[in-house]
Order: sequence, then structure tokens, then C-alpha cells
Amino acid sequence: MKRSLLLLVLLAASQGALAQTTPSAENGRTVFAKWCTPCHGADIVTGELWGRAPAPGTAALQLKYRGELPAVLEERTDLTGEFIETVVRGGLFGMPITRKTEISDSELEDIIAYLTKGDAG
Amino acid sequence: MALPPGLTESRFSEALEQFASAVGSDWVFSSDEDVALYRDSYSVYWGEEEERVASAAVAPANVEQVQQVVRIANRYGIPLYPISTGRNLTYGGSAPTLSGSVVVDLKRMNRILKVDDERNFALVEPGVSYYDLYNYIRDNDLRVMLDVPDPGWGSPIGNSLDHGCGYTLSPFRDHFGSHCGMEVVTPEGDVVRTGAGAVPGSDAWQDFHYGAGPTINGLFAQSNFGIVTKMGFWLMPLPEAFLIGTVTVPRYRDFAALIREASYLEDLYLIGMPWYTSPASGGAFIGTPPELAALMQDGWPSTGQLEEFVRAKGVPAWSLDLRFYGPEETVRANWAAARRRLAAAIPDAAFEDHDLVELPIPRDEETSFSHKPEVGIPALDAFMLVARNPGTTDDPPDGHADFFAMLPRTADAVHSAARVFAETYAEVGFPPLHHPFSIPVSYYSRCFIMGTVVPTWRDAERNARSRTLYERLVARCGENGWGCYRTAPAFQDLVVSQYSFNDNALLKFQEKLKDGIDPNGIISPGRYGIWPASMRNNRA
Repeated sequence: MKRSLLLLVLLAASQGALAQTTPSAENGRTVFAKWCTPCHGADIVTGELWGRAPAPGTAALQLKYRGELPAVLEERTDLTGEFIETVVRGGLFGMPITRKTEISDSELEDIIAYLTKGDAG
Repeated sequence: MALPPGLTESRFSEALEQFASAVGSDWVFSSDEDVALYRDSYSVYWGEEEERVASAAVAPANVEQVQQVVRIANRYGIPLYPISTGRNLTYGGSAPTLSGSVVVDLKRMNRILKVDDERNFALVEPGVSYYDLYNYIRDNDLRVMLDVPDPGWGSPIGNSLDHGCGYTLSPFRDHFGSHCGMEVVTPEGDVVRTGAGAVPGSDAWQDFHYGAGPTINGLFAQSNFGIVTKMGFWLMPLPEAFLIGTVTVPRYRDFAALIREASYLEDLYLIGMPWYTSPASGGAFIGTPPELAALMQDGWPSTGQLEEFVRAKGVPAWSLDLRFYGPEETVRANWAAARRRLAAAIPDAAFEDHDLVELPIPRDEETSFSHKPEVGIPALDAFMLVARNPGTTDDPPDGHADFFAMLPRTADAVHSAARVFAETYAEVGFPPLHHPFSIPVSYYSRCFIMGTVVPTWRDAERNARSRTLYERLVARCGENGWGCYRTAPAFQDLVVSQYSFNDNALLKFQEKLKDGIDPNGIISPGRYGIWPASMRNNRA
């Protein structure tokens, strides 16, 4: 009895560990939608001072890449996990640093899985 | 690894262990990599010795944990720096005023405790963002409207405590002014509730803000007298409709009458934030067009020259959007009354009607709606103005330090400030942004703000130039009697020094309070110029 209880505990622990270490692209999409889409979404946003334009991050990348790469992050196929982590944790050109109390390490892994389509480089 | 001032590494390690026992070891951040996440992304001292950096961060989950953190800090003499969502960018972000402080990251305290759409209030914790609160209201079909600042990722508590503001009717767009009731952990670890919240069992905490006796709420904004853990806000009941009416006026000198009439409507609570633009200069925030720069080449143009400039250009000198909130019958009637008054006051004023908008905006139309903050929809669209954009295509800044001078609500003050800003930019060698058609912003209903966005960089040399510009602006505005309403820690001592009436009597009074309320000086030393006695030589 004791042994089977121990096995159950170990099994539950290993499942928990598995859940923690296997990034979820599906959750990555949810976290991306909350934290990233307002600046990096594909939708046109409209404002009194700038008229109709892509979201600020998308507009910035459009100017930066001039069509050589997609400005919408979700359309990119060249992003690596290392690059995404560097930008999220270090900020870049007006995009600020994001803390772990905002996007946890595990959620960041999920975003990476989502944006790299499982091929995090 | 940075250390709190005066603490040895071993004492600090001991304190970190105690923080971990209070909040859980997962919520104490002390590795270099983790502490770096608390740097101010827009710091004007990025990478320099003067950059304000934390020694560690702790993230409590509830009020009791905040109390424990404060008591531990008192035992060890560790300065704390509370942040809400930590998104107070351009005003310091999540970095402390004093290097070596431990950041108290309240992001995990993110409960929306109550939203009442009959008594029209919300009660929230510091980690709640405007997005969170907005989504809660919409998901639960509550009939109230938020007043939001430009970036929606901020915290209603953090924003109001730094005197942030929004866009709707004046009682709501002053975010600190619209709060009702606070819960505060004092520097010694007690919990205080203000207003009716001090009455045990009261259900009127978010209805009655004064209580009896002196109100102390102001002590917790832009200051360092406690850690606010809950705050109530009065909300606007969801208006049935939103209507914009535009008036344009042909002459440069019409600005004074335009302001006078807008102020009449504003102070009667008939309109939300008046939105001024200058068609003659092509609009706000876009710099100085070449033909206007040419006109300014030989000095500030005379009114006669400016009138001629407008006539030759063939566009109105000024434009004003009036925003009305309420039932359709009243917003249409108020727009009609505004038109009548403006037509009588300003010869040749022209009017443009816009479509009436029913509220709330359907959720699938929010993103494309062009007046989000005016109807309380949080967004980050304003970053369009400061991220890489057509004006900064090849050399976008890494951040910005906003500077806002507070002016009396007159055309003369606006024009004088525009000239001072333009002269200061020229003195420091920055490209001109301000000109005779520069417009004010009316975040605060009873005064004007003349503002500018100073670029910041992850480059010491360029930051030094930006700091020179910022400091010169503070000084020049101070000479003219214009204080500044909000600033980053790097400039707080300077900005506060402009409020020096009677040999700095105000600051001296605040310091006496600080000494009494926070004897160990552990809460945000130096915030807005208030240093504890032991650190007064830290003043910049």
C-alpha cells in the first residue's frame, strides 16, 4: 500500500515536472495575445494623431525591415528562442524590459514555442 | 551585486533569507540577471555609474507579506522601493530612486476586489493593470467606464500615485483626484485605511473619501510615506453616447477666445478633455515644418507675421475637438449650445459634426476605433509617437523622458512657453520642435501642460545631451514660474527645487513629516526630493 502510494506520488511529481518543462505553444499564444499583441499585433490601429497604421511595434518593424522580413512577429519563421528571450528580458528600441512577475520563465518558454513553431533554434 | 547602502554582504544575505521566508524563495530576486530586470529601460543614465539600480527585488502576494517585508527592512535598515505594475516608463520604470534599494514588486497583488456599477466605483490592488480592469468590466458587462492614461499596461494605483491623468470628464481624468479610500502599509508595518475605511465594518469605503479629521491620502502620492496596497476609484457610469464636435478658427489671435469658451464648457462639466491642434502647423508633435522654421529664422515672429502666415497658407489657425458624454439628447443639445456660444464669440468660426458613437464600443471594433482613451479603452497605440516611426526611421531612440510644464490656462502662457521651449532647444542644439502654433494639453482641467518628449539612449554621450536639454527646460520653465508635474528619479531633486517658495518651506515641512513617520528612512528614500535625515546629502 505504502509502495503504491509512493509510486503515485512519484508519478504525479514526474507529470508535474513534465508539465513544467514542456513548453506549450497554445499557452504561448494566450500570453502573446495579452502581453505582445497590443504593440506587435497584425491589426490596424487608428489614432487621432497618426491616422490608420499598424500597431506601434509592427509599424516600427515595417520601417526597420522594409519588406525583407515580415513586420508581424507571428508571421516570422526566423526567430530563435535566444533572440526572443534577449528582447523580452532586455528590451529593445522603446520596448521595455519585461520582469518575471509579468511573464514568468515558463510563460516565456511558451511564447518561444509559439513564435518558433516548436523550432526554437 | 549592488548592496543596500551601509550593509555588508553577509547582513544583506541574512536579510534576503528573511525576505524569502516571508514571501517564498521563488519571489526574492537577487541574482544579477534577475535584478537587471528592474533597470529603468528608459534611464537617462543607462550604463553609467549614476544609473539607479536595485540590489534585489521581493514580490509579496498580500498585505501581510508587505508588512513582513517592511518590518524586515526596518530591522536591517534596507531601503525599499515599491512598484505597482512597474510600467511607469519615462518616470523611472521599475528602478528605485536610490541605488541599492530593494524593489517591492507588487505585480502579484493583482486582485480586482470589487467593481460596483450602481455606486460606480472599483476597488483594486496595485498589480491590477488598466487592461485587467477594463477586461473585467467588459467580461462582466458592467455599466461603468474607465478613464485611462495613454499606455494601458499601467496600474490604476501606480498611475494615480504618480499623478497620472487621462482623457474623459475632469472629475475622472485626474486619477488621484478620483480615488476614494486607500489601504496603506506604513513605514513601521502597520496597516492604515483612509476615509470611511477607517470605520470598522463600514460599507462606504469607496463612497465617502474624507472620513473625519485631516486627510492624509496626499502623503502617499509622489512620495515615500507608505506602501499603498488597496485603492478605490470613482468611475464614470457608462455614458449612452460619445460625440465629438470640431470647431476651427481662422486667425492666430482667435486662440484666446477659443480657450476662454472651451474653459467655460469644461468648468461646467459639459465636455471632456478639450483637444487643441493647429492646422496651420500641420498638427501636434511633428516638429516644425520648413516654412514655419523659415519664418522663425530671424527670431520669434510678430502676431502680424503669424496672421499673414495663416492667411497665405489658407488653413485655419487653430482647431478644437469638443467631446461630449451622456445620453444622445443631452450630448446633441450641449454641442448645439457650444456652437452657439463659439459662433457668437469668434467671427468666422467653422464647425464640423462627427458621427455620434454609441457606447460601449463593440469588442471587435475596439482596435480600429480611433478615440480609444477618450472612451476608456486601454491601448499602447501612443508608442507610435516614440517608437521607430517615419520621423526616426533610421535612428530610433531607446526611450524618452517626458517633460511637462504646468501653465495657467491662457493663450499668452501657451505662446510664452512655446517660445521658451523653442529657445531652449536651440540653445542646446536640438532640432526645433516648438513654434508659435504649439498647442497645450489639458490633462488637468484647470491648467495647461506644455510638453515635450526628450529622447533617451543606451549611449552615455547622447544621454548627456538629453539630460542637458531636460535640465535646461526645468530651469527655464522655473524662471517663468512654471513647475513640472511629474518626472523621473534622475530629475526629481531638480524639479522639486523649483517649488522653493519661502526658502523651500514646503520641502522642509515634508522632511519633518518624513522624519516622524519613517524614522529609519526605509521607504523610497529621495522620491520626489524627500530624503530621510540620514541621507539628505544625497540630494542631486
